[in-house]
Amino acid sequence: MADKTENLEALMKLSLNGDKRAYALLLQETARFLRPFLARRLNVESEVDDLLQEILISVHKARHTFDGNRPYRPWAFAIAKFRLQDHLRAHYADHLRHAVELSEVENDLQENVTKSGMSYESISGEVEKLPPKQAAILQMMHQEGYTAREVAEKTGMKESAVKVAAHRAYKILRKVLER
Amino acid sequence: MASIEQLVDRLAQDAAPVKPAPHPLTLSLGWAAAAAVYLVLSLWISGLRPDLAQKLHEPWFLAELGVLVLIFLATSLSAAVLAFPDLHQMKKTAWAPAGLFAVFIAILFFAWRADVPPAPLPVHSFECTASITLFALLPAVWTFLSMRRFASTHYRWAGSVALLSAFSVGALWLLLHEVNDSVIHVIEWHYLPMLGIGLAGWWLGKKWLKW
Repeated sequence: MADKTENLEALMKLSLNGDKRAYALLLQETARFLRPFLARRLNVESEVDDLLQEILISVHKARHTFDGNRPYRPWAFAIAKFRLQDHLRAHYADHLRHAVELSEVENDLQENVTKSGMSYESISGEVEKLPPKQAAILQMMHQEGYTAREVAEKTGMKESAVKVAAHRAYKILRKVLER
Repeated sequence: MASIEQLVDRLAQDAAPVKPAPHPLTLSLGWAAAAAVYLVLSLWISGLRPDLAQKLHEPWFLAELGVLVLIFLATSLSAAVLAFPDLHQMKKTAWAPAGLFAVFIAILFFAWRADVPPAPLPVHSFECTASITLFALLPAVWTFLSMRRFASTHYRWAGSVALLSAFSVGALWLLLHEVNDSVIHVIEWHYLPMLGIGLAGWWLGKKWLKW
């Protein structure tokens, strides 16, 4: 492994000359040392994979800016950090877009949350009439006892999206049950 | 998305020979040479200020001219360094213009203190900013176009420095062309607009240099 890392610059020089095998080795090694860096900063494994692929594509696009005469790792990490920042910026912008206004949920907050006169089982018939995704989320959260984060991990959705879907389902149920 | 292994295979198949980018020093020297030609040609067409020989004996004018040239060279080099994802591992060089701008402010301050009694203000005002900006358009365009071929991970900073570099060429042209002894006018209409130019470059960098 030590040999491989010492030769990253040499591999890049060969790659710039069109050596496909050297380039494949270089990209594999780059993915290997970047994965733990991304995994420490992102919670979801699928996001690590997606971002790692974006970074490898960026390395490919920018490979002409590396001449093989300076250390390779700082160059690759600079691109990785750049793409990570982009990803996080988009991620948090997405959170903001899906954020629920406090005024929208304050009616729910006023209700007694410690004691409910209604069980999941008593309204399960109405839950089943909801759109399948919303019904599945409510079932997981209220029958199986998962948190929004756990539901997000299980379904591959964003946690904020799970919360928004649940909130919309509550709204529909409220209307139905108030009739 | 495909797996990492599939992506690596696909990218490796695309690995045609690529010519590495030039060193930032070479790149900035190219920009500086082009700017020098442009400046000389423009001065040849527009004419040098008639009192230039006399002004070159004034220490504050000479200092202003010298530091402005250094600012142009430093911003060119900084822009070239910032065009690389890892700043070509020359981070300190990217910051070089900051020190020179500080020296420049000090020189303008001392020139203003030495301007006693103050030289009369010229009748024109914003025309100088407009002229410098128009003059700087061409160097700005070629610097940006050149930087787009690279991969800046500091695109806002790079855009800002690139525009300051182009604007300093314009400021040099006006310093050598316009007959004007008022330090106040020069600060107000030649150099203070650099702040706005820096901000415009920050915005343009995001628009044009993001990849």
